[in-house]
Amino acid sequence: MATTQPVGHRIPVPPDFPVEWDDPSHENLFWTRERMHYPEPVKPVIESLDPEAGLNFAAETYDLPIRYHARVINTYRYTAVSPVTMDPEELAAIGERAMENVKPVLARFGEIWETEMLPEIKEHLAYWDSFDLRGATTPELLVHFDETVRRFRRLWDIHFMVGLPMLLSMSLFDDFYRDLFGNQSAFDAFRLLQGFDNKTLETDRALWQLSRKALALPAVQRILQEQAVADVVPALEQSPECAGFLAELRAYLDEYGQRCATSGGNVFDPAEPSWIENPAPVIKNLKDYITQPDRDLEAEMAKQAAERERALAETRERLRGYPQPVVGQFEALLKAAQDGVVLSENHDFWIDFRGSYRIRRVLVELGCRLAGAGAVDSPDGVFYLKFDEIRETLAAVPTPDRRELVAQRKAEMAHFRTITPPPALGTMPPGPPPDDAAGRTLIKFFGGPPQPPTEPGVLRGGPGSPGTVSGTAKIVRSLAEAAKLEPGDILIAETTAPPWTPLFATAAAVVTETGGILSHCAVVAREYGIPAVVGAAMATTMIEDGQTVEVDGDTGIVRVISPD
Amino acid sequence: MTTGVETETDILWLGEVACHDRSLVGGKAAQLSRLAAGYRVPPGFCLTSTAFAGARSHGHVGTGIGNQPVALPPSLFDKLTAAYQTLATRTSLEAPPVAVRSSATDEDGSAASFAGQHDTYLNIAGIDAVAEAVIRCWASFSSERALAYRRQQGLSLDTVHPAVLIQHLVVADVSAVMFSANPVTGKRDEIVINATWGLGESLVSGTVTPDTYLIRKADLTVTGREIGEKQRMTVAIPEGTREVDVPRLLRRQPAIDDAQAIEMAQLARSLDEAMGFPVDVECAFSGDRLYLLQCRPVTRLPASK
Repeated sequence: MATTQPVGHRIPVPPDFPVEWDDPSHENLFWTRERMHYPEPVKPVIESLDPEAGLNFAAETYDLPIRYHARVINTYRYTAVSPVTMDPEELAAIGERAMENVKPVLARFGEIWETEMLPEIKEHLAYWDSFDLRGATTPELLVHFDETVRRFRRLWDIHFMVGLPMLLSMSLFDDFYRDLFGNQSAFDAFRLLQGFDNKTLETDRALWQLSRKALALPAVQRILQEQAVADVVPALEQSPECAGFLAELRAYLDEYGQRCATSGGNVFDPAEPSWIENPAPVIKNLKDYITQPDRDLEAEMAKQAAERERALAETRERLRGYPQPVVGQFEALLKAAQDGVVLSENHDFWIDFRGSYRIRRVLVELGCRLAGAGAVDSPDGVFYLKFDEIRETLAAVPTPDRRELVAQRKAEMAHFRTITPPPALGTMPPGPPPDDAAGRTLIKFFGGPPQPPTEPGVLRGGPGSPGTVSGTAKIVRSLAEAAKLEPGDILIAETTAPPWTPLFATAAAVVTETGGILSHCAVVAREYGIPAVVGAAMATTMIEDGQTVEVDGDTGIVRVISPD
Repeated sequence: MTTGVETETDILWLGEVACHDRSLVGGKAAQLSRLAAGYRVPPGFCLTSTAFAGARSHGHVGTGIGNQPVALPPSLFDKLTAAYQTLATRTSLEAPPVAVRSSATDEDGSAASFAGQHDTYLNIAGIDAVAEAVIRCWASFSSERALAYRRQQGLSLDTVHPAVLIQHLVVADVSAVMFSANPVTGKRDEIVINATWGLGESLVSGTVTPDTYLIRKADLTVTGREIGEKQRMTVAIPEGTREVDVPRLLRRQPAIDDAQAIEMAQLARSLDEAMGFPVDVECAFSGDRLYLLQCRPVTRLPASK
């Protein structure tokens, strides 16, 4: 693949975004900005972690016809996909073989997760919990660091061993349903997948229940109503009447708060404190939830399951006169996709959140040692170093000074934050990607190509979750900005990382610039029953805070109704 | 009154010797009845020409163009209900879907083919719907189109004795057309199977590229196998059938495995031996059961090389 001839056009590189290719053949690939997971500049530590390495492990294990490339260019994350061979026939044959490899996994997807993957994940998490980070000597800590990296990579191997069949299962089912019944709405097939409980909904529901308890306790309610987000916990701590509630809040944070990326826009950022360290997002949601005393969120969610069962009964009735092999395939794909939609949230809970929380704890401890030795000014300097640099710095005597390097990298990130990175780099592909099962899956997850606006005040994205609603637009670039979101507002973001979903109980609709109908945002919005438009390019720049917008989740269109 | 006689001949079941009589049930049903005696043909019964005559004599059948069909005589309706109930028992279905077809008694297949001239109602379920389809079939014998056809073919307008065949509609997983001699090369020692998903209409009308199996007649060995890109299939919908797209995931998947192909070939070989000439067979798998739907001599077989 490295010797492929450039067939398409070289994409011009903007002068303020110089690119050096360490492997010259990489310039022949089509690199696109991966904004769905990383809308913002990424810290050097993420480059070293390279969580997406697991994607190629999965691609090799399932013998997929493509390989994945990811690199950070001028602090922004770009990805490319290359075929394993240039021979179209061979490629098609490998593609068919890959499907055959994935099928047995799909046949017992939920079971494989429960009996093989989840136990292994829990074993890794228990390993981290059993290690005394504070008590370890620095050499012991460095050994633990190596083991941490090894186990972390293994978690991400599992992540993609789940992730690929998970997305494929939902997409194959959607394809199959459309082939059978045509295409009444974008959501027909997905209605049959909704209403199953998962760890995301469990997390959000537990928080909702906490808010109902707060409503029953006047002292707690008053603090939530009157105090600013940052002052709520100290106020609760000072009030003896609130002790019980505070204990429940802490129990909630212990169970569901093991997640990073609480304030940044990037999905994965171990530099971000967990909810346990900084419960601000939880408090913000509690404050919003208590303004809705009469709402029954659990009943709303239960409706999704009832609607699913009704739609499923209808579909099965329609299939009565169909050949059994067709019906059997439908049922098999349905089962796999129903497992897939649950796993699409649960793998995040266990790997993306709980795994990342633990690597953050290791990195923070390393940061404390680095700061203690004077290599960096503060522990957070560790996130601007690469793994080798961390190891070398802590192992060397005397401790080398890394302050200059950290400052340089912070400055680099600050600089590129002011620059709009090009959406694509390298070489334009000679044609559209093949319309095969894998290609369709990727488009449904990452979203299709951006659609240029055809009339002023109208943005075109993709259908994410059905329904139409109007409300006040709130542009939220990071979770830290979510404070301005009030009940009934339209949440407009580049992407919504999974920790954002409790906001879906407050927002009337969601609009994202990235993602497709299988993205987290779309999946969770459907569970909440709120309209969503995904992949609406430039939504955060074209729409202004405070404008009234109408979100039509069925057509994927966002309309600015009032300019202010 | 000739009630006793009517009771015996109003309704005859496929496979019964009496049902082999084309003057009572028509050529198509009589032939199916003979096959049903020895092979697994979907169960069914005929409302004979006697039943028609009885109903007409009681003024229950409209004649001429544009006549609205009228109700069945109560006694015949009761017999029809009982027969349909028996079919329900035999198929283990509460309201078995059936095909209701007219089968004219002078339709002997020798000179005139009535294909398409008389009504066929597919996927009818429930006694009231069946009774209505019977009345429509009866009425179709006197439709303008049918009468014109009979005039054109020089057939008598008076001697027609309409019978109606009511047969369990097997919701086929796979339908196939087989030839017990290769219709292309003329080879007598080779069985050719064309198989596809669903009911047989897409296959018969040629809208699908089926899977093709070649099987050596002598030892039933699969000698050739070509999997077609099966884009369309016929499925049963309430009160009929419909041709729909095959989901992409299944288009290039074999509709049958080798064991099923061999089971089909065995059926073709057995019919070929019983008839004494190469046959053209329609059959279908529903679950693991292979049903024989139709068997005719192969016409215009090229000389064997």
